[in-house]
Amino acid sequence: MGTFIQLVIDGLSTGSIYAALALAIVLVNQATGLINFAQGGMAVLSAYVAYQFLQWGLPLILAIIASVIVSFFLGAVIERFLMRRFERGDPDTAIVVTVGLLTLITGVCAWIWSYNNLLFPSLFPLDSIPILGASVSVRSIGTTLVILAIMVLLQVLFVGTKLGLALRAVAINPQSASYSGLPVGRLLMVGWGLAAILGAVAGALVAPSLTLTPGMMDGALVYALAAVILGGLSSPVGVVVAAWMIGVLENLAAVYVPFIGHDLKIAVPFVLIFVVLIVRPQGLFGRKVVVRV
Amino acid sequence: MSAATAFFSRTWVRWAVVGVIAVVLIVLPLIFDAPTNSTLARIGVFAVAVLGLNVVMGYTGQVSLGQIFFLGLGAYVTAYGVNEGWNIVLVFILAILLPAVVGLLVALAAARLGGLAIAMVTIALPIVGVPLAKRLSEFTGGSQGTSARFSSAPEWTGLYDDQWQLYVVIAIPAAVFVLTRNLVRGKFGRAFAIVKENEAVASSMGISPYRYKVLAFTIASAIGGVAGFLYMVVIQYTSPETLAFHHSITLLASMVIGGAASILGSLIGGAYYVLVPQLTNIIDPNLTAVLQGAILLLVLFILPGGIVSLPRLWRRSRGGRGLGSPVAAGAQTTGIATIEGTRASHAGDYASPVGSAPAVPPVTGPESGPTDKSPSPESPEKRQDT
Repeated sequence: MGTFIQLVIDGLSTGSIYAALALAIVLVNQATGLINFAQGGMAVLSAYVAYQFLQWGLPLILAIIASVIVSFFLGAVIERFLMRRFERGDPDTAIVVTVGLLTLITGVCAWIWSYNNLLFPSLFPLDSIPILGASVSVRSIGTTLVILAIMVLLQVLFVGTKLGLALRAVAINPQSASYSGLPVGRLLMVGWGLAAILGAVAGALVAPSLTLTPGMMDGALVYALAAVILGGLSSPVGVVVAAWMIGVLENLAAVYVPFIGHDLKIAVPFVLIFVVLIVRPQGLFGRKVVVRV
Repeated sequence: MSAATAFFSRTWVRWAVVGVIAVVLIVLPLIFDAPTNSTLARIGVFAVAVLGLNVVMGYTGQVSLGQIFFLGLGAYVTAYGVNEGWNIVLVFILAILLPAVVGLLVALAAARLGGLAIAMVTIALPIVGVPLAKRLSEFTGGSQGTSARFSSAPEWTGLYDDQWQLYVVIAIPAAVFVLTRNLVRGKFGRAFAIVKENEAVASSMGISPYRYKVLAFTIASAIGGVAGFLYMVVIQYTSPETLAFHHSITLLASMVIGGAASILGSLIGGAYYVLVPQLTNIIDPNLTAVLQGAILLLVLFILPGGIVSLPRLWRRSRGGRGLGSPVAAGAQTTGIATIEGTRASHAGDYASPVGSAPAVPPVTGPESGPTDKSPSPESPEKRQDT
């Protein structure tokens, strides 16, 4: 029982990382209709930026905050000068652009900071505390709580502020939004910036356990995409639930299903996807897409 | 139609060109030295892989990030079969069939969610494939990989191994290229094109987008399997590294840079896949990934049709603006055209808040005729409440 609880909480913590990345993908998708395959790469870059600030002597928490701010502008700049040109076009071309961006960012990280694994200090102490007879690491709990807090903040931003209202307006109907005087272009930049922030937080939280490498988030990106498919692109809540589900299930499967083990646990979400896609193609929580011709 | 085009469209000229190319292909392996031959052979291998990707992505408009997985699967099947001592023809057939079946199963599920989902699911193939290949070590040799030597030149030919391999890698890809060309020019190709263009129109014409996406993906997987077989012919060794994710990305970049929805573009893509990493490695190994990404983005920005569209672009810039719109150039994909057209309303028509609206590329490959400048083709879902 102790192991079980431990696995579930660890799963929730990794699931939170996937959830942050998945939310970033959904955020961009809602605003611009494309899937950003570079979201993980951008998160890695943010983590490297935080690492660089650490090297320059900033305390960890300030380094992360600084990297979050840098990431926001980076996301906005990428939207303005790279993606905007492709946003209205063929979504497949736009996907290829994000894949190119992923390659470029990975390359830049490798070029500046090398492919070697770099140690990134953890924001939380490495102790464990006993919960219901299981020893659960503070890091898992902390990661989950931080991501939860960010999600709540984001929700407040989207529901409770004027900026959030404008962002939602742009997501729902850019044309009407621009007719009513909203600066659609700038709002899209903000959307990308917010997505980059989510990635930056996820990157900084996952870097201590994975160690910093340019390909650090490749796996997480795959999980996040799985969560996006499972939860449905139109449902942020569904995506988060799906991400947690994936995190917990893959952890349990790794331990309790001998064939899967730790190396093959990445296959778990995709087995899940196959089942879901056959039974419920719009995702667990998504709405069915209705196309007007 | 310039005089040159008219000349080249005559039947006997075409056959003469084919004949000359065939003779050159037969003679060249005898002239070149071994390293050149093996480089050419590798270009042949990856040209087939890019061609497979082109079937699903260039012609049918479904982004696949997993094509390398099928190459790896084909390579592993080949290695296993050869090491078990099976007949080589049987091995070849299995190296096509098995990836095709796996591709069919993947596509059956992935194609249900519209264009973007295929990209999201197929990204998992190489990422799941690598640990899977390590795990199934009795078939794959685990992390060590497995080698199979079966492509030495037979005694009676009197050829060196590299010459023989190059002949194999010319003969099989030539067949695959001709078959694929016929496929995409025929009934199925037209169906693929309309699925890429507009799924709603496709269904209204009685062409099931789902079925044709699955078909295209399956064919692409089978061609990937052929590429895997050829990979073993040339390289004779495969390991989990063969199907690593970054190879899949490079394959996709090669396809876009060579030219999407183009047979010749696939060949250029294969050359890009093999040659450019060699070049960038000479410049600076640390810069390989940066350069790859930069080249890909640059091509998307300034040459959306890929290298293969260069002559057309050149002709257009010389011979006036043709039909007056950049959209008129068939191979131009959307990017520039749409921006130019409707800069003012960045607005866009992502009308549905649901992102997985079907991919509706406005202008497709060289086959598609001139379109007018109105943004309507790319906005099938005008909101009624505007």
